[in-house]
Amino acid sequence: MSDEGPDRMTGDEPLTEEPIRVMVVDDHPVWRDGIRNDLESSGVAAVVAEASDGGEAIERARESMPEVILMDLQLPTVPGVEAIRAIVEESPHVKVVVLSASGEEADVLEAVKVGATGYLLKGSTAGEIVNAVRRVRDGEPVFTPSLAGMVLSEFRRVAAPDPGVPGLTPRENEVLKLVAKGYTYREIAGKLFISVKTVQNHVQNILTKLQLRKRYELMRFAIQRGLDKAPE
Amino acid sequence: MGILAYRWAAFVWMVLLAIGAAGEFRRPAVAWLVLGATGLWTLWLSVTPGWDRPLTRWLDLGVCIGLLLISGIVMREGYTVGEHPFFATAYPVCAALTWGAARGVGPGLAAGLALSVALTLSRPINGVSPADATGAEIWGVGNGVVYYIAAGGAMGLISRALGRASRELRRAQDEVLRERERVARLSEHATMGRQIHDSVLQALAWVNKRGHELGAEASVPGPEVLRLADMAAEQERALRALIQREPEEPPKERASLRVALDADARAVGEVPVTVTALGPIWLPEHEIDEVTAAVRQALENVVRHARATRAVVFAEEGEQGLVVTVRDDGVGFVYEEDGLRSRGKFGLLQSMKGRIEDLGGRMIVRSAPGAGTEVEFLIPEHGLRADRAVDEGRL
Repeated sequence: MSDEGPDRMTGDEPLTEEPIRVMVVDDHPVWRDGIRNDLESSGVAAVVAEASDGGEAIERARESMPEVILMDLQLPTVPGVEAIRAIVEESPHVKVVVLSASGEEADVLEAVKVGATGYLLKGSTAGEIVNAVRRVRDGEPVFTPSLAGMVLSEFRRVAAPDPGVPGLTPRENEVLKLVAKGYTYREIAGKLFISVKTVQNHVQNILTKLQLRKRYELMRFAIQRGLDKAPE
Repeated sequence: MGILAYRWAAFVWMVLLAIGAAGEFRRPAVAWLVLGATGLWTLWLSVTPGWDRPLTRWLDLGVCIGLLLISGIVMREGYTVGEHPFFATAYPVCAALTWGAARGVGPGLAAGLALSVALTLSRPINGVSPADATGAEIWGVGNGVVYYIAAGGAMGLISRALGRASRELRRAQDEVLRERERVARLSEHATMGRQIHDSVLQALAWVNKRGHELGAEASVPGPEVLRLADMAAEQERALRALIQREPEEPPKERASLRVALDADARAVGEVPVTVTALGPIWLPEHEIDEVTAAVRQALENVVRHARATRAVVFAEEGEQGLVVTVRDDGVGFVYEEDGLRSRGKFGLLQSMKGRIEDLGGRMIVRSAPGAGTEVEFLIPEHGLRADRAVDEGRL
């Protein structure tokens, strides 16, 4: 039994592959060093940049073009959520994984809404972190059970404000609930008689819907305030 | 109360007018009898606690209409016309005022209208035929009509405004009370925060000091380093618990299942346990006690038998009722009650099952060798039915 991550479904990649370009954003040097060590000793990833605050993160992301960013949310100057928003807007192909110490629900959910595709607690093992980096690079959202729970609560808490805003399909709801219960994508695939790829697609769609809702919320807010009108 | 004062003033005025017009009575006995009855009625209204009952209001309207009609009978023919004050005009308006105050604008106006009709009728009763009415007579009746209707309507408006103001005052008072409770809670939270921050700082200082000392030694003793790590882990858990405490207001006599489950999860040292509860899930205390006791037993099973790397406790309140699952990624087993019982391995499971069945629910175990275990507690009729209806409005 491997102890790698909540989802142990990705087999070992051939080591001949180029290491994944990673940027680590954290205001504590100890954490940056530790994560760099975890990633580089695995041979899977190379840390191409580090940043200690949100503003620096936005700049460094532009310069060093990482594939994956591991990011704390409690950051000086620009808060983590704002930095993620800016980075994802500028380079939508960059995958952001939130690495949070507090697990403060509201922050993590905001981060996912503005474009983060993964969430890990800082207590995660080296194996979990490496695995998460590999999976998000491959376009797979890294949902821990707790993030799945938060997203599920969010969809329940705010009933669709408008028919145009997508809610979860029964199947997506089922998949998300199983993730929240601690099942891996592979186990879910087995339980529901679908392929692992289909499970991943469901999770990706759920994330997209969450982000759509956020955008819709902002738009509605703008319309209410009359911000959609061009300045005269 | 203001109306009552006016009522007495109107009654006194009516008595004075009657004394002044004593020579003009067609039927003095009826006049004094009616005056006496009105006095008694006013006195009764002053002492009874039921002065604002619907029946009292209807009776009052009847008395006032009666006064108007009867005054047409008791006065000398034609006396009520012209500039002479009519001895019952001031008192009847009390009925319009009462209706307006108690029921609002519409009923106030309606009572005023009823009085106006009676006032108009009192003229023919007094012997003045409508055909003979002079401009001044019509003017006098018109004045009375406007006076009654306006009084009822105006009182309705005032009472509506007063009602709104008093509701707003009550709401503001509630708000203040809630705010005060919130501040108290926050300050309790802040006190806890200070204590935990202090112990975290102590631990950090110690980790710092010992870490440097150990780093300087030739060989690092493993147990010593582990002790430092444990110390840090303990403080991390305390801080996390502080951060994740429910920020919301618990409903009366309810507590959060999520908070209770979080505490249970943190108490398990051997296997990392995650709690994913959808919302705070407010339940009565005794249900929380039973459910968490069952969850603790399930986690105990995980620690003892599952050889799992992690466990997840999931809780949700949905259409089915309350669902709580404990899932591990361990070795799994064949769940077969009779077999387990005969081998004496059903004790803990039996106890969990009993607890949940006592709450009117059932326990479902899903497991297979190598596939981990999921224990599900399903409680359809949990004690949150009323609140759940509210919740479902939101879902």
